[in-house]
Amino acid sequence: MTILLRAIFAAILLFSSLHQAGADEAELRTIIAKFASVKKFTDTQSVINELAQSADAAAVPALKALADGELNILKSDGTVVITRKEGDGFVYSDPLSGETLGTAGKSDFRKVKIKNSIRRSIGGLLSSLTLGSTDPTVRLQAAEALFSKADPDALAQLDAAIADETSGDVRERMLQARAATVLAGDNDPEAKLQAIAVVSGRGDRKALAVLNAFAANENAELVAARQAAIDRVNDALASWQAVQNIWYGLSLGSVLLLAAIGLAITFGVMGVINMAHGEMVMLGAYTTFVVQEIIRTGYPGMFDYSLAIALPLAFLVAGAVGFALERGLIRHLYGRPLETLLATWGVSLILQQAVRSIFGPTNREVGNPSWMSGAYEVGGLVITANRLWIVVFCLVVFVTLLFVLKRTRFGLQMRAVTQNRAMASSMGIRTPMVDALTFALGSGIAGIAGVALSQIDNVSPNLGQGYIIDSFMVVVFGGVGNLWGTLVGAFTLGVANKFLEPYAGAVLAKILMLVFIILFIQRRPRGLFALRGRAVET
Amino acid sequence: MTDFRKSAFAAVLGMALSSSALVPMAIAADDTIKVGVLHSLSGTMAISETTLKDAMLMLIDEQNKKGGLLGKKLEAVVVDPASDWPLFAEKARELISTNEVSAVFGCWTSVSRKSVLPVFQELNSVLFYPVQYEGEESQRNVFYTGAAPNQQAIPAVDYLLKEESVKRWVLAGTDYVYPRTTNKILEAYLKSKGVADEDIMINYTPFGHSDWQTIVADIKNFGSAGKKTAVVSTINGDANVPFYKELANQGIEASDIPVVAFSVGEEELAGLDTGPLVGHLAAWNYFQSVEADANAKFIETWKARVGEKRVTNDPMEAHYIGFNMWVKAVEKAGTTESDAVIDALVGVEVPNLTGGTSVMLKNHHITKPVLIGEIQSDGQFEVVFETEGLVPGDAWSDFLPESKPLVADWTDPVNCGNYNTETKSCGGAAIQ
Amino acid sequence: MISRFLFTGADRKVFWTIIVLLAVAVLVPALNLLLPTDHPFHVPNQIVSLVGKYLTYAMLALALDLVWGYCGILSLGHGAFFALGGYAMGMYLMRQIGTRGVYGNPVLPDFMVFLDWDRLPWFWYGFDQFWFASLMAIAVPGLLAFAFGWLAFRSRVTGVYLSIITQALTYALLLAFFRNEMGFGGNNGLTDFKDILGFSVQADGTRAALFAASAIALALFLALCLFITDSKLGKVMVAVRDAESRLRFVGYRVEHVKLFAFVVSAMMAGVAGALYVPQVGIINPGEFAPANSIEVVIWAAVGGRGTLVGPILGAIAVNGGKSYFTAAFPEFWLFALGGLFVAVTLFLPKGIVGSISSFRGRMNTQSALRSQKIADMEAAE
Repeated sequence: MTILLRAIFAAILLFSSLHQAGADEAELRTIIAKFASVKKFTDTQSVINELAQSADAAAVPALKALADGELNILKSDGTVVITRKEGDGFVYSDPLSGETLGTAGKSDFRKVKIKNSIRRSIGGLLSSLTLGSTDPTVRLQAAEALFSKADPDALAQLDAAIADETSGDVRERMLQARAATVLAGDNDPEAKLQAIAVVSGRGDRKALAVLNAFAANENAELVAARQAAIDRVNDALASWQAVQNIWYGLSLGSVLLLAAIGLAITFGVMGVINMAHGEMVMLGAYTTFVVQEIIRTGYPGMFDYSLAIALPLAFLVAGAVGFALERGLIRHLYGRPLETLLATWGVSLILQQAVRSIFGPTNREVGNPSWMSGAYEVGGLVITANRLWIVVFCLVVFVTLLFVLKRTRFGLQMRAVTQNRAMASSMGIRTPMVDALTFALGSGIAGIAGVALSQIDNVSPNLGQGYIIDSFMVVVFGGVGNLWGTLVGAFTLGVANKFLEPYAGAVLAKILMLVFIILFIQRRPRGLFALRGRAVET
Repeated sequence: MTDFRKSAFAAVLGMALSSSALVPMAIAADDTIKVGVLHSLSGTMAISETTLKDAMLMLIDEQNKKGGLLGKKLEAVVVDPASDWPLFAEKARELISTNEVSAVFGCWTSVSRKSVLPVFQELNSVLFYPVQYEGEESQRNVFYTGAAPNQQAIPAVDYLLKEESVKRWVLAGTDYVYPRTTNKILEAYLKSKGVADEDIMINYTPFGHSDWQTIVADIKNFGSAGKKTAVVSTINGDANVPFYKELANQGIEASDIPVVAFSVGEEELAGLDTGPLVGHLAAWNYFQSVEADANAKFIETWKARVGEKRVTNDPMEAHYIGFNMWVKAVEKAGTTESDAVIDALVGVEVPNLTGGTSVMLKNHHITKPVLIGEIQSDGQFEVVFETEGLVPGDAWSDFLPESKPLVADWTDPVNCGNYNTETKSCGGAAIQ
Repeated sequence: MISRFLFTGADRKVFWTIIVLLAVAVLVPALNLLLPTDHPFHVPNQIVSLVGKYLTYAMLALALDLVWGYCGILSLGHGAFFALGGYAMGMYLMRQIGTRGVYGNPVLPDFMVFLDWDRLPWFWYGFDQFWFASLMAIAVPGLLAFAFGWLAFRSRVTGVYLSIITQALTYALLLAFFRNEMGFGGNNGLTDFKDILGFSVQADGTRAALFAASAIALALFLALCLFITDSKLGKVMVAVRDAESRLRFVGYRVEHVKLFAFVVSAMMAGVAGALYVPQVGIINPGEFAPANSIEVVIWAAVGGRGTLVGPILGAIAVNGGKSYFTAAFPEFWLFALGGLFVAVTLFLPKGIVGSISSFRGRMNTQSALRSQKIADMEAAE
């Protein structure tokens, strides 16, 4: 997001230096200087109105800064400047020339305050000022903004921009924006009929909003056309709705799978009722926090790589804790699975309190890197970037784990030990070490799940508690000891939940899922993919 | 191993014995006045309540630096009710009868307050409750220093009606009594302002709800009806972070669909990247960003005590006001004895942190300014609206038919928490 | 029968526990009510309410141990039966408020007035009668356990699968009771109680009576459990625990035995819940939390699984520890509690009582002098 903004900003700067057509610079400078004396929001608004009247693109950087809260007044002499954070202080520059004037601390500035209504009017102004930008992405955004705004006054400007437009995509958007503008203004019915067709051609929610807002009470033909267009858009959206629900379900399923997959090893394969599993996830999330914190203070440019750095570290941290837990505690409890419940519950209390003592009880901020922010629109489908990456990530983890289990020497030893310990031991496998490493593997995977979950959920000492029950449900539903079962179980529960949610509401949907699991276990007492053979009886 | 087992066994047995002989006899120390702090330090509510414990300890220390109270030092007694509601009642009883505290500052959730109410009533002690809540309650032993619905929800909705000309409303909340009550009051209020039924969408989610995809998409759909739409969020604590993350990612911007929240303060935002959330609103009676001398001093003391990165929030201010009111009332009464303090508290005036003076009213609620702030990229709020003068807290909402005739007045001759002005009689909650 | 109690060691311990409980049921209320507050032997109100609460927890732990310790069914959802019993009693107490609620409605509880319910929902009928509420406190958990057990045991759901679906059961109930539409007061639950059987719930006398009732109920349950475990059925239960398949091949209807134990246990948990609610003054969905049910398992494990006295000791010790630590070390008590659980599993795998028995067993084989000492210890116990 920030990169995009910077690009826009640079483009605007370039653009503004080329176009000095409107009011002359001195006049603009006096208007901008008025920001220093605003007392109320209405004052700020009237200064913006003056800038709008000047219609000079040179005001774009100042307006942009105002919208971002970066337009400040130097307390010492009342100059209006644009500030940019750098290290602990702020670099400030001239709002028109962009020339750097110096650096100062936060307390040396007074911010020009704005609120939503002002932000909106700046947005509208910026979009009309940037409609003629040299950068097509900026023009596209401006057209989009004008579409939603549907300001009748912008019609002439749009017509001019459409005439100059070279890019087909941008032109189409501009035509749509023009249609929305036509609908909002006082135009003849014929033009409005065409406009309805253009707007409904978009077929998305924004089009629906424009159509709904359009009051066609004067003309029967228009009323009918509007209604038909609304129905058409709604139909199109309804068919996307099912796809959207599947996506939501897959996304919820991927979260469940990530939370459960480590447990599928420690509980499913090793039979340890690991109540501290959620805390391993929590440790992973806190590792991400620590990594981001170090990057924020020391190497801010590396922020986008923070998750890549956090992944192996989270695996190591959680894995090491798991290893220590197995060596120090769980190895004494093999053959007494229910006692592991008691001991690991105790460990989970200790880990929670330890994290609370070290990091404090409040939520910690873990940011989304830029490539995990925002959303993609595919037809009527909205796919948010962080969810998409989590789905991809969980599948990668699953495949990797499957590979480790089925194709590596360690996986072979692990399966041997869990299937027949005595035989494995007599074949020369160091079973205690394999046990410890298996538990460490399960814990480590829980740790990397924590890295992913930190992107969508709270990072707090209670993080693990929220996932532990769901994780057990998934593993048991899928069938203990079978990774494929966990995969299918997680996605089945996720999708089913999301299909129930619109009808039953979030709470009832979850209750129904639990009742479904209870009844399902009656039909298949060993889960979806039951392991066959003797090992099952123990 | 055997020896080790023996000694471990002895240790466990010793622990069991010492704990069964728990509750050591209270040593009535005459040289200190004890103040109970009843906030969860573990469990689900620790995330919000631990800060309040720290704030109380700071206030008590500051008071001791000023020479204590009635010539004695104040002593904080901290217990951990562990977000477990029956344990709240047990700990309250322990604080009052065993530790003999003069007043208790504590509770966050409504259910924890409901759980300790009978204990305070039975043992006749004083509780200061610092969190915004649903109202519909007034108890002789409890002083409500947080906002009642008329000190938070109604002004916020008024602001959106007037400033943003909102026509369509999503009332989203966690499914418990505070959101239910607030939404009920707001629904009645909005309808009285001419908002149609189909323009109000009410949605409830469970505690700690983390998958907001469907609901945020629903809000988007609801918002595409061509009318200005806003979300009034009474979503509680933990669920807010994933909610706002989903809002940001699905691209709901404050200038399109503003979200005004009543349970999101500086503390909650500390766990979020607020960049994409700039412009969403919150209504409180205090923001850290408020420029006032008292506030600057408070923030400085707080940061010096707990660290530069920690923030202050509204419930902390409520404790600040409540504690100072209690100090003043004790000085006025000349004793810490409950009945005298309860009587002395009504009418006490203390400065709040936003530059005004809050008064304890007859209904045991206080007067507060209502501030509406927009989220900034640095995790703070920028005040965009402030009521003129302070708003008195109303225990019984005027927008609900069943509570409309009720008033609370704990002074003679009424002395009743739910006095019915129509029948001129005290309802069922009379203590006598 | 009495003579048989006195013969075997384990039975003798249970017998003495029953005697102690009955003595406590009489003595504590007497010392609380009759002595002046400054008398050295006066039992403060707070101890009465605290220990009264522990006694109901002990009942719950005993109920769980009957199915887990003796029948091998690890229920991670016993808190659900406890809470259901509690809700039944809470509904009775709500109906007793009458016109004293804040809105003064003679029939509807405050939260219903508030949520615009115009009439009492059908499932609240009858709860104004104490006998009906008491019956429901036993019958509802019993029926739920029967329905659940009948399905699960017939389908031969065992081991962790059973544990997890009991957890799913209590979790589903937790979410359901949280819903305000259910008509059970949502998250706040039922609270603000006034009277029970015409006596104020806050009066010292009522509290003492509830304490005595809890102690006597626990003693009765102990006797009941002793009777069950000593009977032939009890031996079959232990056989189910130790070798279910073998027992099935021999021709026993294992599912019937399990179902019996499960239903009896659920009913005991229901009674415990019904006694718990008037003593703590609130019942809310938090009691259904899976973590609470896990804690019950821990009480039983700490005290000694598969013994009758163990769960009682465990419940009292763990909760006593919790009460003590949360006040003494509010910031660090979870370390102590967590550490206790780890230590017990590592060093006292049979729990407190089980370890005392085996410890004593080892000692007895040594010199007579030593066994004399043990006898002293026993007397001290």
